[in-house]
Amino acid sequence: MGFKIMGEEKVAVHISKELYEKARKYVEESEGEFKSVDELVEFVLKEVLSEEVEEKVFTKEEEEKIKERLRALGYI
Amino acid sequence: MRKMFILGLDCTPPKILYEEYNVELEYLKEIVEEGTRFNLKSCHPPITIPAWIVMFTGKTPGELGIYGFRHRKPGDVRESYIVNSRFIKAPTLWDVLGRRGYRVGVIGVPPTYPPKPVHGFMISDFITPGPEKPYTFPPLLKVELERFFGPYIFDVIYRSHEKDKIVKELFAMTKQHLSIVQYLLGKKRWDVFIYVEIGVDRVHHAFWKYFDREHPRHVEHPVYSKTIPEYYKLIDEGFKSIKEKLPKDTIVVITSDHGAKAMKGAFVVNQWLEEQGYLKFKEKPRRPGEDIDREIIDWEHTMVWGWGGYYARMFINLEGREPKGIVKKEEYEDLINQLKKDIRKIKGPKGEPWNSKVYTPYELYPEVNGDAPDLIVYFDNLSWRSAGTVGWDTIYLPENDRGPDDAVHDWHGVFAVYDPEGTVGKGFKGEIRIERVFDLLMKLMQS
Repeated sequence: MGFKIMGEEKVAVHISKELYEKARKYVEESEGEFKSVDELVEFVLKEVLSEEVEEKVFTKEEEEKIKERLRALGYI
Repeated sequence: MRKMFILGLDCTPPKILYEEYNVELEYLKEIVEEGTRFNLKSCHPPITIPAWIVMFTGKTPGELGIYGFRHRKPGDVRESYIVNSRFIKAPTLWDVLGRRGYRVGVIGVPPTYPPKPVHGFMISDFITPGPEKPYTFPPLLKVELERFFGPYIFDVIYRSHEKDKIVKELFAMTKQHLSIVQYLLGKKRWDVFIYVEIGVDRVHHAFWKYFDREHPRHVEHPVYSKTIPEYYKLIDEGFKSIKEKLPKDTIVVITSDHGAKAMKGAFVVNQWLEEQGYLKFKEKPRRPGEDIDREIIDWEHTMVWGWGGYYARMFINLEGREPKGIVKKEEYEDLINQLKKDIRKIKGPKGEPWNSKVYTPYELYPEVNGDAPDLIVYFDNLSWRSAGTVGWDTIYLPENDRGPDDAVHDWHGVFAVYDPEGTVGKGFKGEIRIERVFDLLMKLMQS
């Protein structure tokens, strides 16, 4: 079932209690980097999945930027 | 289970690591003197991509289908794509060992962006667009590292006249990398740890003429002549701290992917092709440094064009493959043979003979996959780089067409290995081909 926090639709997922406790501990030790387990889970999944779902590794702008760098470095 | 630490110094030649030419090494020297060393024969082409991945897969560039940082899309003269980790289809050393239960740490090996899951951890290489991208595996490692070390520094832009800025940035980048490596060695579980430092290549390219007294444009400079020695000192001292963190029985490998030597100049490949009648411009390019593109080449009268870099790639305007191909399939072989003859006859600016090398990919590799060039050319055996741009009033440029560069690549790099368990012996063992390193490393891990 979906609900909205700050305008963005969210859904609930279930993870093992053991993993949740580990994640909670990580959040506590993250010195404010992550404010909640939700935030941590969101970050990790985003990082893991972002490259997987994108067919292209580089955006057009990134590709141009890299080529410019490679030119400056003498590779091309 | 054996443990191994591999220090990859991109571009280090034997002259520096083995003969200590102009540098003072203490801790790296111990490995060289106490262990076995080889002259590492790089691959064709001897360039960072594909060389490291050839080393860590044991496959030739032809088998991998990787011939440089970029490849062309057939049928298009300007369009090219950048190689990334997804092009690596062969299993790497960390894949194979990971599957066997070894925990791996892989830092900065080109090309490992985007990072793939490994049995351990990974930080991707300098092709990574920037620290805002996901560049570690596991993803949380990025957060952990940035908390202590700030955003990861992937590279420096060295081809600029702001030498002081380059020195500052180079040292800052390498210090960060060394600190991260030490942190990971102490904090994480690992059995095989690979760390490739790209800064070595950058310092060579930016400061070689101040360092190498045999460079044709050698300049003795109170500060810049000391930059390469000081950089190696930084690496040497960083290695001392690294070594203190390694378990006593760890096998230590110090390796590079290719060597370095003085750049004599840049050869304007497309203007030479025009002079020889292989290429025709619609009108004479007048702006020095102009890129070749569809608009300026008269494709109906062009048989061959070339790309720049540390080596030249040449492409035949082949009928059926290129949009305006004029070379018929049955003419291809004869054209290749004629080109080879003409390339071997090229002389230097003062009429001095050159030792240029030219190959088809089929002569070099057991398999030719991907988008290979038709010819691979090393002008004067790599001493002259290839300038792909046009509009120059000479075909011999004293400097790189993209700005100043003091060094080019050389065939021989280094490979030194020390095993405290005494399985590898001592002394100089001649040449090892880069494709053979994978098997040797696997054997060492099983010793």
